[in-house]
Amino acid sequence: MRRRTLSLALLAVIATASVAVAEVCLSPYVKRLAAPEKYLYVYSVDADAKDNDFLAVIDVNLASPGYGRVINTVDLGSAGNEPHHMGFTDDRTKIWAGTLLSKRLFILEVAADPAKPRIVKTIDDVSALTGFHGPHTYYALPGRMLLTFLSSADGAPPGGLAEFTNDGQLIRVFKNPDNAPYAYDVAVKPEINRMITSSFTPLRNYMKPLAQWDMKDGGNTMLVWDFKERKVIQTLVTDPVPLEVRWSLKPGATHGWTNSALGDSIWFFAQTKAGSFTAKKAADLGKGCLPADLRQSPDDRYLYVSCFMRSEIQAWDVSRPDRPRLHDTVVPGVSPNMMHVTMDGKRMYVTNSLLSTMDYSGNFWVRLVHIGPDGRLKMDPFFDVDFTKLPTGPARAHDMLLY
Amino acid sequence: MRGGRQLASLVLVAALLLAVAPRPARAHDAPQRAGAARLLSTHPSLGVIGRAPRFTLGDPEGRPVSLTDFAGRIVLLAFIYTSCPSACPLVTQRMAVLQRRLTAAGLFPSRVNFVSVTVDPDRDTTETLARYAKGFGADPRGWKFLRDASDALRPMLAAWDEWTKPLPAGEIDHPARLYLIDGAGRVREIYSLSLFDERQAFLDIRALLVQPGP
Repeated sequence: MRRRTLSLALLAVIATASVAVAEVCLSPYVKRLAAPEKYLYVYSVDADAKDNDFLAVIDVNLASPGYGRVINTVDLGSAGNEPHHMGFTDDRTKIWAGTLLSKRLFILEVAADPAKPRIVKTIDDVSALTGFHGPHTYYALPGRMLLTFLSSADGAPPGGLAEFTNDGQLIRVFKNPDNAPYAYDVAVKPEINRMITSSFTPLRNYMKPLAQWDMKDGGNTMLVWDFKERKVIQTLVTDPVPLEVRWSLKPGATHGWTNSALGDSIWFFAQTKAGSFTAKKAADLGKGCLPADLRQSPDDRYLYVSCFMRSEIQAWDVSRPDRPRLHDTVVPGVSPNMMHVTMDGKRMYVTNSLLSTMDYSGNFWVRLVHIGPDGRLKMDPFFDVDFTKLPTGPARAHDMLLY
Repeated sequence: MRGGRQLASLVLVAALLLAVAPRPARAHDAPQRAGAARLLSTHPSLGVIGRAPRFTLGDPEGRPVSLTDFAGRIVLLAFIYTSCPSACPLVTQRMAVLQRRLTAAGLFPSRVNFVSVTVDPDRDTTETLARYAKGFGADPRGWKFLRDASDALRPMLAAWDEWTKPLPAGEIDHPARLYLIDGAGRVREIYSLSLFDERQAFLDIRALLVQPGP
């Protein structure tokens, strides 16, 4: 009896500890790192689109003599693609990496030698395959990848979803409904069989310089799906352009947050006792923030927001999930964009390119923010990877993954 | 005797772990027990993921068993190894629960079968597999535990996008998946070991029986 009690106590400790130390903002189906990161993959756009785009590998192993330097680049074989986001397959052996201006999609093998990823498959015309353009989020399902697309093949709405096998065979597609045709991010909460998608703007808009964008040509909806049925069951209305979908990490929690890029706000969504969802504005980020990315701390205590226009990162305390409180800010440099929090929640890598058509600075970098036990943010004064002086010239650093 | 006691301990630990709260999934983690509020789907959309790669492996008696032997029946295929400390015994335990439920519904073994393939044939002898199967109450009429020599097994694992990587202390890292195969030999669903819920799998199987698909 005593042994049984001890076993249960031990299991409870393990279960609790794993919540506080876990990689976040990844599909729950992705294999988690078992040890601190050694390599940071940075998906990069050649800034003047004359040289080929690439995936950079940065050494982030503190014990390595190469720490903080680009140790390898994987040439994508073509220019002008606008590399943007990427994602691991469930077993973390491959990275799927697509593009927003071309129709190319790359599958890279990373497990054999994580320092030297290699392209194992290129889909040259993902639009011909799916009927969509602009793959955005690469979300692992068991043995498969679920991708969101920003547009139809003609560059206009509707966007949608497409499922592939891990080696790149198309399984099926789902178009966004007519009354909510814009697409962007996706995140699944398997425990409650729900999936939420968000909305941005299509190719016909984002391919133009920012000053020419039609700010009304974008979404203000989040769709709640029955995940197993792959069926939209509810439409939530938010401020314009809700981007990242972040479910709470707490066991049993059925709420989450998104960042409205044009509303300069955080929105809170939650499931009611009746099973439906509600959404409400939970925090004002300050006019002109343009929150480009939203990340979480592994203990579910903080949300991190990158203010692309105001050049700061904000940490919001979400101890009360529907009432975020500004906890700290840090200025990492001009136009911070993508962030990536480590499994221990102590470090956050940051890049500063959003889209070639939106970037307002020619100064590109990858930097590191330290997160203290009190949740305070502090820039690492030494970790500063300059992306303006690469052998092929300046490059726009965007999405990141760790290995 | 010692092996029997170890197996009993594994089953006990599996039962205990089934009760702990959900947590973020890892590569080879224990399955999570969803809370009572878990929403199950009675009308799952089970697209055709692809044709199930064929294989022929040996059962504990050394008889060859092929995937084609199950034609016309639904198959749930798992990749396990018997010295696996957490995920494999837990998922096998859940399959045993599913087996009981399917049996009660009159579907097992006549319309639904299970296959568990060891990814560790060097240590999982036929005797070890037989003992493991018995420990979990596997009904040999419809649940086969299969193995083959490492060299012969490797192409089968590759065809299923499975791989193995030895870890310290004798553990083996491998993709944590189960495959649901319809009567026409097509993969219709893939489950994560860590998020496998036998109640939803039961509903998926029932949906495939009612609507076998294109």
